[in-house]
Amino acid sequence: MSGSGQRLNVVPTVTVLGVVKARLVGATKGHQLLKKKSDALTMQFRQILKRIVQTKESMGDIMKSASFALTEAKYTAGDNIKHIVRENVQSATIKVKAKQENVAGVKLPKFEHFTEAGESKNDLTGLARGGQQIQLCRSAYVKAVELLVELASLQTSFLTLDEAIKTTNRRVNALENVVKPRLENTISYIKGELDELEREEFFRLKKIQGFKKREVERQRKKKFEEDQVAEIDWEKTHTKGFGSDLLVPEAQKDEDIIF
Amino acid sequence: MYGFEALTFNIHAGYLEAIVRGYRSGMLTAVDYNNLSQCETLDDIKLHLLATDYGHYLQNEPSPLHTTAIVEKCTQKLVDDYNHLLSQATEPLSKFLEYITYGYIIDNVVLIVTGALHERDVQELLEKCHPLGMFDGIATVAAAHSMSELYRLVLIDTPLAPYFSECITSEDLDDMNIEIMRNTLYKAYLEDFYRFCQKLGGATAEIMCDLLSFEADRRAVNITINSIGTELTRDDRRKLYSNFGLLYPYGHEELAVGEDFDQVRAVVEKYPPYQAIFAKLSYGESQMLDKAFYEEEVKRLTLSFEQQFHYAVFFAYVRLREQEIRNLMWISECVAQNQKSRVHDGIVLIF
Amino acid sequence: MAAAPATSVQGTARTSSLIAIIADEDTVTGFLLAGVGNVDLRRKTNYLIVDSKTPVKAIEDAFKEFTTRDDIAVLLISQYIANMIRFLIDSYKKPLPAILEIPSKDHPYDPTHDSILSRVKHMFSSDPAGPIGRG
Repeated sequence: MSGSGQRLNVVPTVTVLGVVKARLVGATKGHQLLKKKSDALTMQFRQILKRIVQTKESMGDIMKSASFALTEAKYTAGDNIKHIVRENVQSATIKVKAKQENVAGVKLPKFEHFTEAGESKNDLTGLARGGQQIQLCRSAYVKAVELLVELASLQTSFLTLDEAIKTTNRRVNALENVVKPRLENTISYIKGELDELEREEFFRLKKIQGFKKREVERQRKKKFEEDQVAEIDWEKTHTKGFGSDLLVPEAQKDEDIIF
Repeated sequence: MYGFEALTFNIHAGYLEAIVRGYRSGMLTAVDYNNLSQCETLDDIKLHLLATDYGHYLQNEPSPLHTTAIVEKCTQKLVDDYNHLLSQATEPLSKFLEYITYGYIIDNVVLIVTGALHERDVQELLEKCHPLGMFDGIATVAAAHSMSELYRLVLIDTPLAPYFSECITSEDLDDMNIEIMRNTLYKAYLEDFYRFCQKLGGATAEIMCDLLSFEADRRAVNITINSIGTELTRDDRRKLYSNFGLLYPYGHEELAVGEDFDQVRAVVEKYPPYQAIFAKLSYGESQMLDKAFYEEEVKRLTLSFEQQFHYAVFFAYVRLREQEIRNLMWISECVAQNQKSRVHDGIVLIF
Repeated sequence: MAAAPATSVQGTARTSSLIAIIADEDTVTGFLLAGVGNVDLRRKTNYLIVDSKTPVKAIEDAFKEFTTRDDIAVLLISQYIANMIRFLIDSYKKPLPAILEIPSKDHPYDPTHDSILSRVKHMFSSDPAGPIGRG
């Protein structure tokens, strides 16, 4: 809509027409490709959406069981356990690695959790009571972390893909609604201009032809008149003597010049 | 059997025994627990507790209640009760009451040492300490960098000093041996408490030694189970067992080499009083052991109220209140987390 | 360790990053137990414990700090805390670190408040052909 009536500012010649036509072909091809990319991304996007919804739902359950495991640990090992755990914090043993996945040219960040080597500090926590519950609680939370890291990569993919799809769609739309109409307009403009030129040429030829015809007509008329004059002269010269011998070849010579 | 005690006991401790028995009757009963486990929100729980001895402590709590707040307030009630008893007590009861708190002091010292190792703010650490385990100069614990320094600077003035003789090493403090230090201290504490009770004699000695033996055996079993699969060596493990109790000494030797739960079970089942505990558990199941032990402990503690003229009721009261707080925490957590089907798994009925 | 697979890891991306947490005491304790906690040399932590006394300003500051630190890849935040600083989260657009709203034990998870999930749901509702739009 915005592209209608617009055209490139070019000199309407046959060469330019060829160039613009080539560009139109390119734009069409690009449009098709981008459309395909957009479709591929959207497909991936939908899969991610589905998984996000699923994972978010299971996250609720996992977090619930994890925090209940903590309650059990607190029940057996005493409320003080949280302080012990907190004071034991030094450096993270569970970390995430950021990787990248390539989907139709879009780089999707992907997290992977991994456990850093080295024994954990809380191994002996609750040695006298509740140690087992603490270990259970820990594994519950480790599981939660695994799920959350997965969810994090899904979510980041979601955001990145969303952005990528928007950009791609913008490009598709731009090609479809701006670039292509503009090129088409240019082509039709150039074609129109060329036609116009052709018509002008034709008209000019016609005009010249008509002009020539009129000229011939006039010449003929003139000659006719001259002939008559000559006849009269001839009669005069014949009656009077010489003079007509010179004029006749002269008239013939003139005719040669005109035609 | 203890006629002479009965003659003189009431002169010094009669009033306090009466008080503690009064406190005991204020504890939550099965009916209370039934009502509490029907609650839908934490505010309902508060409403129920307002009608009990805790009412005074909870009435000013602002409305978005948290489990931690409930637990804190209930602990406050225990601390106040304890302080009331302590302020009225005379020797040797006051000494006995102090002994009860040594366990908390050990926990606090260990907590502060751990925090100091990781350079935490001492003031913050003090807030986290158990109020029953506070002593003068506790903040200076954080200044210590090695075991011997800790002993020389701080603990020499505290009742814990003798316990440290066992675990003083030249090693610097680190995470691994802090947990071992805690348990070594606790072992020494239990043994000392045991000796003290024996010295008191009479019904106190009889009942307290039984309770402390149970405590020691429970610790031994728990330490064994919890150290399976860790880098704690058999010798180290053996060193953490208290040198008394039913399992001492032959059971300890066997526990020290135990490699899995069923081996531990086989060892402990040789002792009739513990057979009943393990009989509740199916083979290979170790999760509910803690609860089974709690139930057994509560049973024994409750029984101590059946006799008169002895100090064990004070010990029993503190422990039972602790269990009650645990129960309350469990119930309120279940309610808060919407896990009401599990409510009954954690309640140990006291009376 | 030294030779990371250069094919998949981007040059600027660190080989390992932390998980940061802003949550209530118990949730933080649980995650610390799992081993995500980290205290660096300047005693800066990668977690913030929020209780009823924590001012919103402190949460905002922690959020801003965690989202600008380059060693953090994932930020977990309790949903009820996220609700307190919703405007910040809604205006947060960067893909890294990823923000995850997690349920806390006192506050059951409410999908309608989740910034991401609400977008997801919005997309499905605006697009009846969506694969699980009926759900």
